[in-house]
Amino acid sequence: MVKEKGPNLKVNLGTIELDNPVITCSGTFSSGLEYGKFYDISKLGAVTTKSFSLKPKKGNEPPRTCEVACGLLNSIGLQNDGINSFKKDHLPYIKKLNIRVILSIFGQDIAEFRKIAKEIVDIRQDIIALELNLSCPNVEKGGMAFCTSTDDIKNITHEVKQITKIPVIVKLSPNVGDLSMPAISAREGGADAISLINTVIGAAFDIDSFKPKLGNIQGGLSGPAVKPIAIANVYNLYKENILPIIGMGGIYSWEDAVEFMIAGAKAIGLGSVNFVNYMAGIEILENIKKYLTSKNITDINSIIGRASDKIKR
Amino acid sequence: MKLLDAEIVNNIRIGEGLYKMEFFSPYLCKNFKPGQFINIKCSPEGLFDPFLRRPFSIYDIENNFNVVSVLYLVRGKGTKYLSGLEKGDNINFCGPLGNPLSFENDKKVLLIGGGIGIAPLYLMAKKLSGQGALVYFLCGFKESNFRLLEKDFLRLNADYKIYCEDGMWGEVGIVTDEFASGKNKFEDYKVYCCGPLEMLKKLQAIFSKYNNTVIAILEEKMACGIGVCMGCAVKIKQKGGFAYKKVCSDGPSFNLEEVLFG
Repeated sequence: MVKEKGPNLKVNLGTIELDNPVITCSGTFSSGLEYGKFYDISKLGAVTTKSFSLKPKKGNEPPRTCEVACGLLNSIGLQNDGINSFKKDHLPYIKKLNIRVILSIFGQDIAEFRKIAKEIVDIRQDIIALELNLSCPNVEKGGMAFCTSTDDIKNITHEVKQITKIPVIVKLSPNVGDLSMPAISAREGGADAISLINTVIGAAFDIDSFKPKLGNIQGGLSGPAVKPIAIANVYNLYKENILPIIGMGGIYSWEDAVEFMIAGAKAIGLGSVNFVNYMAGIEILENIKKYLTSKNITDINSIIGRASDKIKR
Repeated sequence: MKLLDAEIVNNIRIGEGLYKMEFFSPYLCKNFKPGQFINIKCSPEGLFDPFLRRPFSIYDIENNFNVVSVLYLVRGKGTKYLSGLEKGDNINFCGPLGNPLSFENDKKVLLIGGGIGIAPLYLMAKKLSGQGALVYFLCGFKESNFRLLEKDFLRLNADYKIYCEDGMWGEVGIVTDEFASGKNKFEDYKVYCCGPLEMLKKLQAIFSKYNNTVIAILEEKMACGIGVCMGCAVKIKQKGGFAYKKVCSDGPSFNLEEVLFG
């Protein structure tokens, strides 16, 4: 008996091949260990780790999270145990659980990015791609985020890729306005793909104490509240055909995931939904399959960017 | 730790803004240990406002009926939603979360709870007295809206004392008044406490003069509840400074003397 084949879910982001388009966003999934207790996370297209720096980073003053309407403000401050902890403490179980992993990294200056890249060379066969978190402050430029400088985006991408020879994804921040120039800079630096959007800057205050609700005053907004912002950015960059896009920002359901794909995302990232529904990854993946089957779509690639075909100008 | 749906058996108002929800969960009855918590989705299926789950202690476990109960004050959108649920409705929870307390060797125990902070202590009082420990349960409330709980306290094989600020129940005052004389009546007791920040700060100052081991069960706003997001960070003293620990997965219990309050 011939087993009926399901729809093709394989997608390529440049040289990065994924078995399916469902991945997790940095900072919302650790390196996967906790979620492996709920479902088989090797079934995901990939897991993006929390961002690692060269040395351990303590993180921001609490309170670090604040719930807002349909979303979450956070100012964790990139707390992490350093890249060596990733190699020593996380990589063994990542390999054991058979997770396809995208390693997210950040630095406080270009030299730190370079040093981290050198630390990664010996584990490059264990990582399918690197994601550059360029929303962190560049201490050499008075704390301005790297993503505000097209030169920084290009140079860091170029250097990291040269050193590691691993595919590079550049994560773009919506806080700089138009994302076309940052995306072009990523391409010029040799990036294989872009992921968007990172969180949107926000703040909240307590009307009784008059104090900010976050220790860091400002934080990043995520959750369903930011989804339309993300969809617009994905749609605009897809039309410009700069680099393959991983769409993320407020995805809560499989319907949201499909919406990102028809807007132009080749893969989709699940972020803060992981905090609410620990099974989100596998549920969204299974439901995308059902959606494609119900519509007699045999290849998921055929829905990517379909919204552009429907819009007459 | 499992993510499960559970049927509500009872969800009743027992005082101004105070509710007790009982739900059917053989899994929690079997696996939940004092000191741990669960988190409950506080919005209807498919909706996301409020967005995050809410952490709750388990107040009581009725093993014979496979029922557990949660005590909660209606404070915001999440608890307001919960208070509107009825018998037969489902909740979605994850648990048990956090680390259990190990009190097998405790012989004399002082439990100090402030307000809704008594929630995790009641189950402890029950378990401890059940294993033969001498238990003294000291409770403080702003208002007497908790007073229907006294029938639960009476069922405990333990001494208890109530302080209430509105003068309608127990002694007038706050729990830390118990130590106002400067004399420690609980010298050889192990102490567990849970309650508002101001109470914990006062207890930290009081017990800095004594040799008791004092364990604080901390509350903190959480995003994930399972150790991933690092949102519920608390400063814990360490050699040469402090380290951030996660209330959800490193705690929720810490040595009170090691906590650096903001």
